Amino acid sequence: MTSDHRATFALDLGAATTSAALIAVVDGRRRLLASTSMPAGIDPDDLLGHLLARLGTADPDLAALLGIGPTGGPIALAGAIATWPRLVARSSPPPELVVLATTAREQHAVARLAGLAGWRTAGGSLEVDGAIELTRLGLSRTCAAIAVAAREPGSREETARLTELTALAGGIVERAPGVPMLLVGGAARALGGLPVGENGEGPLLAPGPDAGDPPGEPLRRLLLRLDPASKAARRAMVATTIDLAIALDRRIELVEIGFDGGLRAVVGPGGVEALPAFLPEAALVPTDLDEIVIDEVLAWSTLALDRHRMGDRLRELRLWPWVDAHGEGALLRLAAARAALERLVRATPELSALPAPDVIVVAGGAWSAAPGPAIALALADLVRRPGASQLAFDHARLLGPLGTIEDADARLALVGELADDLLTPLGTVIMPQGMRPGRSAGQLVVRSSAGETELELAAGDLRLVDLPPGQLAMAELHFRDPVQLGTRVRQVRIEVAGGLGGLLIDTRDIPLRLPERAEPRRALLHSWQAAFWAGLDG
Amino acid sequence: MSRHTIAAAAAEDAARAEAESEVAPASDGYGLVPVRTLIEPNPVAWFALTPGDRILVAPGDLVSPGTVLAEHQRDPRLEDGPPLRGATGTGQPLRPGDWWSGDGHESAGPLRRRQPRTAAGELLHPAGSRWRMAAGGDHVDVVETPAQGTVRTVAAGRGIEVELAGRALVGAFAAGLPTSGRLQRIAGEAGLRGALDVGRAGAILVVEGRIDSEGIIRARAMGVRGVVVSGLAGKDLRDLLGSEARQRASLQSPAPFAVLVLDGAIRRPLARPMAALAAALDGQQVALLVDPPMLVFDPPEGAWPSPPPGWVRIRGGGLAGVEGRWLRGLGLRRFSAGTHLEAAAVALEDGEVVVVPIADLERFS
Repeated sequence: MTSDHRATFALDLGAATTSAALIAVVDGRRRLLASTSMPAGIDPDDLLGHLLARLGTADPDLAALLGIGPTGGPIALAGAIATWPRLVARSSPPPELVVLATTAREQHAVARLAGLAGWRTAGGSLEVDGAIELTRLGLSRTCAAIAVAAREPGSREETARLTELTALAGGIVERAPGVPMLLVGGAARALGGLPVGENGEGPLLAPGPDAGDPPGEPLRRLLLRLDPASKAARRAMVATTIDLAIALDRRIELVEIGFDGGLRAVVGPGGVEALPAFLPEAALVPTDLDEIVIDEVLAWSTLALDRHRMGDRLRELRLWPWVDAHGEGALLRLAAARAALERLVRATPELSALPAPDVIVVAGGAWSAAPGPAIALALADLVRRPGASQLAFDHARLLGPLGTIEDADARLALVGELADDLLTPLGTVIMPQGMRPGRSAGQLVVRSSAGETELELAAGDLRLVDLPPGQLAMAELHFRDPVQLGTRVRQVRIEVAGGLGGLLIDTRDIPLRLPERAEPRRALLHSWQAAFWAGLDG
Repeated sequence: MSRHTIAAAAAEDAARAEAESEVAPASDGYGLVPVRTLIEPNPVAWFALTPGDRILVAPGDLVSPGTVLAEHQRDPRLEDGPPLRGATGTGQPLRPGDWWSGDGHESAGPLRRRQPRTAAGELLHPAGSRWRMAAGGDHVDVVETPAQGTVRTVAAGRGIEVELAGRALVGAFAAGLPTSGRLQRIAGEAGLRGALDVGRAGAILVVEGRIDSEGIIRARAMGVRGVVVSGLAGKDLRDLLGSEARQRASLQSPAPFAVLVLDGAIRRPLARPMAALAAALDGQQVALLVDPPMLVFDPPEGAWPSPPPGWVRIRGGGLAGVEGRWLRGLGLRRFSAGTHLEAAAVALEDGEVVVVPIADLERFS
């Protein structure tokens, strides 16, 4: 895409839904004009036709300006669909890495790092599973790559195991040419007799899961490079977010929950601050739906469902993810999205340990049916750090398509122009830590052009101050005792921005603690959610 | 979403839409309704194998129902196989995945000391001077194709791909082993339990009414070869898989049995076009495959049952399983829980008009 195009389509072809947006030059500047999303599998041209028709109905003058007004008729629409350039991001199912190891410990260590690099993993160890089972796993139809992992052998028994494992892996490679093989840690030293693949490339050698600083990072980087889906939408989103951080001169945390996985990244104008995590386990409903996942969703659900019924609802959601996005279906979806976000946050403690970002951007089809304030609450429930952050939503799912622009300068220029359009502001969350329980732990005064609001602060509370999108305000907080808010403070003034959810003052525990028993937990979650979800009971 | 609420919300638009009784499938959002292919041509089935299984067919072979594709070893064991060199006596090197027929022929001549006899099995990898292999256990089950077709690919330790003759109705998921039998419909709310008798032995039952794991297990015990249902709850599926595993572990393997689920885990009526297809196939020999999950059949004689133009089915929400006729797209509408979704007006068979999110609909092609 170049700057002389009058209009461009952006398509995010997700695994569950297809999202389309129209970007066009208006008053000399590129703007986001319309967006919509529908179930995956429908013809994108039908979706684009629907998008243009809606634009024509909503703003005939603007449509006429673009040459698709009523006078042009269907021919003009068809011409626009056929000729206007498209930015297309595609999601693809996570590839499977089969980890064959000498011991279960090595297997799990490599699988954990691969899981953070976008791989779905399967595997076993000689110690537990035996050679026939390992061969079966390596020959699996879904296997996209094989990692052979072993510690540096310290005993004769370990040396014998490693010799057997490399011979076994060699047998698999000979039968499945073209499947890349990674030799990890001690296995890399036993390269000797391993046959070279038909394409002439030998196995890749990788450091062990404990090597590097922080431990495992070199192996994770290698696994990221090896991922055949490295050009997929999720990777493109990181590139766009870095451009956005440059355009806004802000530190941004991106959390995305999609049908086939989740993404968490913290970026600044200088690039990523730590390795981004691409986690298939953080899918809205993971492929391997087990009792643990069902319990995780039940823990966030405001619906009174038993485990069997919840399992059935989640299986349906996995099979037909676009169906039933209203009523109870919307609540179920949000509970599943929260559980997925919880898995993502749990798997990335190194990102949680970074200082609170200026902006947290939430993205992904999992949130598409939820109202903005409810999304803000879900973020506040799970991404918990002392500090203050703005919250925003990639409502038109533009982060992926924009990231596919290969020319970095053109991409940065477009992201800069669209910065005000591509994110919906959800509000600002202020999250102090270390408040002492008691009647009053301090006061908050919010001053804006609309007036002044005063609140008493108490520990364990969630307060909402109405602050519409686009409005800036100054929040002054006075605490009875010093609290942690990025730094240790007793009084602080923070500039806050409004959004669909307004200003959230969240003095609940970090991390959040919920009642153990289902009934009171559901009641508490419902009471919080009801304040953020207009029309929840209607 | 109650029927009453949405009908009330739709009243004005629906009345207008009702006046335009002709369906306009190509316009006003009908193209946004997800399409579900009713009948797939040229289905391809995968028969999974594990190391140690003996393959009995080759690519290009024509197979018919009952043809044994492979012998499946229930408990393959790891054994030392033939020596790396000179085992075949032909100079042809052995490769991983090759089948070693065993019995000690690797000794090269009468004056040499005879090598220890080796069992038959699939070669896995070299270990020292000999091959390591997955040798057969005590129990062997046969892997049969339930339908006619041509073997496309064969991969030792992985599986066999067969391009099947006929057409397929693809489901959401399946459990069990590929099987075949005469298709019989069981209509009515009484469901499977009320319709079981010995006359059903050897049949594949398409059940339109109530179903649970006990009914399915009883059906299998009475010689039924397969069951096709619209929905099966996770608990029933788990019970069935447990029972199936116990049956398969017995000394004498029972006849293959499969359950094909067309829609999902929640009970819905069988889609009308699918029920019409089942009616057209009643009494005909069909096959149930599990990978991918599908019912394979020869095209019925005469006209194919196909849904009328504009026919849609509601997949989710309170009206899940209800079918009707597309009237028109309505643009964004507010639904329960305050969500705003692209909507359409659908005329149900009783004349009632409802407003449904387009994403909740499906149409058949």
